[in-house]
Amino acid sequence: MAAPVPQIMKQGRVIPWFYLAPALIVMSFFIVYPFFNTIYLSFMDRNGQLPASTTCRANQPCWGMFENYRHALLDEINLTSPGAAWRTFWTSSFGNMIKWIALMVSGTVIMGLTFAVLAERVRYEALAKAIIFLPMAISFVGAGVIWRFVYNYNTGGAQIGLLNAIRTALGMQPIAWLQTIPINTVMLIIVGIWMWSGFCMTILAAALRNVPEEIIEAARVDGANEFQVFFQIMVPIILPTITVVITTMVINTLKLFDIVYVMTGGNFGTDVIAVRMYREMYINYNTGVGTAVSVVLILLITPFIFLNIRRFLAQEATR
Amino acid sequence: MKKPFVWLSLLLVLALTLSACGTAATTEPPAVETQPPAVEPSEPPAATEPPVEETTEAPVETEAPTEPATEEPVAGEIDCFGAEGTSVSLLYQWSGLEEENLTNILQPLLDACDITLEVESTRDQAILDTRVQANNPPDIAFWNIAQLEQYADLLVAIDDLPVAQENYADFWRELGSIDGTWYGLPVKADVKSIIWYSPVAFEAFGYTVPETWDDLEALVEQMVADGNTPWSMGFESGDATGWTGTDFIQDILLVTQGPNFVQGLIDGTVAYNDPAVAEAYELYGRWARDEAYTVGGAQGTLSTGFNDAILAVFADPPLAMMVKQSGFAGGTIAETYPALVYGVDYDFFQVPGVQGLQGGTDWMMAFSDSPAVQAVFAYLSSETGARRWAEVGFDITPNLAGAEGYTNESLAKRADMLYNAATLVADVGDAIPGGFGSAEFRAVTDFVNGADLQPLLDNLAEIQAQNTGQ
Repeated sequence: MAAPVPQIMKQGRVIPWFYLAPALIVMSFFIVYPFFNTIYLSFMDRNGQLPASTTCRANQPCWGMFENYRHALLDEINLTSPGAAWRTFWTSSFGNMIKWIALMVSGTVIMGLTFAVLAERVRYEALAKAIIFLPMAISFVGAGVIWRFVYNYNTGGAQIGLLNAIRTALGMQPIAWLQTIPINTVMLIIVGIWMWSGFCMTILAAALRNVPEEIIEAARVDGANEFQVFFQIMVPIILPTITVVITTMVINTLKLFDIVYVMTGGNFGTDVIAVRMYREMYINYNTGVGTAVSVVLILLITPFIFLNIRRFLAQEATR
Repeated sequence: MKKPFVWLSLLLVLALTLSACGTAATTEPPAVETQPPAVEPSEPPAATEPPVEETTEAPVETEAPTEPATEEPVAGEIDCFGAEGTSVSLLYQWSGLEEENLTNILQPLLDACDITLEVESTRDQAILDTRVQANNPPDIAFWNIAQLEQYADLLVAIDDLPVAQENYADFWRELGSIDGTWYGLPVKADVKSIIWYSPVAFEAFGYTVPETWDDLEALVEQMVADGNTPWSMGFESGDATGWTGTDFIQDILLVTQGPNFVQGLIDGTVAYNDPAVAEAYELYGRWARDEAYTVGGAQGTLSTGFNDAILAVFADPPLAMMVKQSGFAGGTIAETYPALVYGVDYDFFQVPGVQGLQGGTDWMMAFSDSPAVQAVFAYLSSETGARRWAEVGFDITPNLAGAEGYTNESLAKRADMLYNAATLVADVGDAIPGGFGSAEFRAVTDFVNGADLQPLLDNLAEIQAQNTGQ
């Protein structure tokens, strides 16, 4: 039998709700209501007045009430032949998202981990880490503008873009980095990696600090070389943190907007989902398709949020 | 033990700061007064949308808007409609110098009728949409043609306002009408169908201004044969990248097909994947994608900013011979190369063979018919208002009575072009609501970047059909 609880510690069924009320009210106004309204609007026309099915036209493909989702998913893809569909998919916002996730997440985590391990071994650890973390302190728009200069391609006179200046100094032809498919998306991803590596490094470095020194010592005494220490001792111990960093980066990447919007405006086959969402909402004033794109984005992000929360709860449980 | 000292030093610091503040506070106001008026905000930085109507190169109006106008017309010429002492709310996209220009134009009316302006300046259309949806629209909004259709149900018809309709060419009524009712008064127009060039360079190479489209094509070939680059093209304009291309293609269509065809594209009666459209794209692409015809070829066209493309023609040495760009280009040239003289170092000619003019205007629309609104419409459509508009040089007033008022040569020439135009065709992308414009920009960008033309046009035709209800 548990010890009897003093009367004063007992609370009725109602009292907890009073404590929760402020948070619940704020959440329902700013998260829950907009969320359901977005879903509702994604089934309506451009002004949110009539059902989306009314925008269907005779003799044209139509998904009925899911018409906006047809636009959201298929508009960028040329469906006339499988070959054309395949090619256009890889320059669509969805195809680009796959490239972004594959390169940016692996890039930032690998760079972050490498920096975290290496920075601990140099004398100016704090300085080195600060430099790598610095891009995080710059606004994303600012970083986009800076990198546009790096990638600048000039048609007349000297190349003022750093990369093209180097190329021409070495006697090579300048390249229009941001206009040439498919390297332009890779160039944008490099900017993303530059910005986010510091974030990954900081979190992974904190995790590495928690790796018990005795285990590493023991491994070294047993004759393990540094690579074995890293891959067989450190990585397995900080694996939960790595997973969290990966899922966080996937979510960040899916939401990515600033870099692409500032540097190419989503042109030249570099579009991503968030830029499309913005364009449909605020340039085309097409609420239906805009919200449908955002619902697709929510659906893509949800599994990763779920993973993150589950990991979080598991960590709580071990405390 | 140390505490008293800590407190003492803290007190000292506090006292010092206070006294410093005190002296600063007493000396500041006169300093502010003697300061010269703040430098006028310059033109908005490279706008993210096509500046159909940018600030002009009109003589810079240094006069503050609050100062009384020097040549104030007699109050008797202005009809106040009993609006004395009332106010009118305006919503527009202009800011800085442009906003001052408008205030300057309206000043005689405001002084004569004691009307107060309540202005809201924003480039965000969502503000207008939100205010209208919330049943709280401004009395007068200055916006694009698409809003006339969007808000037709809520707008006051021009026929119900005291507008001097005889001062406007017939095509304005047609352009501003939705289902036969005229809803918007055009106020600030610019022409797009013009090509800027350097008369000095033309003379040096013995080129003459082409009279027909065939002349232009021959001239282009001649330039290439001479080793000159004929065109400077620049697409880069943030999320509106590509608009210079669609402007050019629309001018080609006005040459090859004429205004009815282009109007058909706007109405949706002519599908955008019509072979004639494809032909215009091909013709444009032949120039825009080739290094011999345009600076830097396709990559140059795509990566060059639209303002840089204008300047390339007037650089020393010039990178190209011609640039097709709207009237605002004159302002860009004058600002960057103040030493160049209009008519000598830079000039423009109408796209040869163009039938009807491509142009744009801001539309003034009324959500209310209060006396003050009536007074504003009456004033701007009157001769007094038109002259004032032309004098200030806030681009071109479509009001024909302004013809004699321009003090700026380049603006006068463009105004003359507009007043003598048989008809005016709006930008197809601007006129079709709901995303056709941005899709068109992206299509021409992809086309110049090497994509196949037909799927792009088919996709545009699809969007055109969706948004024109055909």
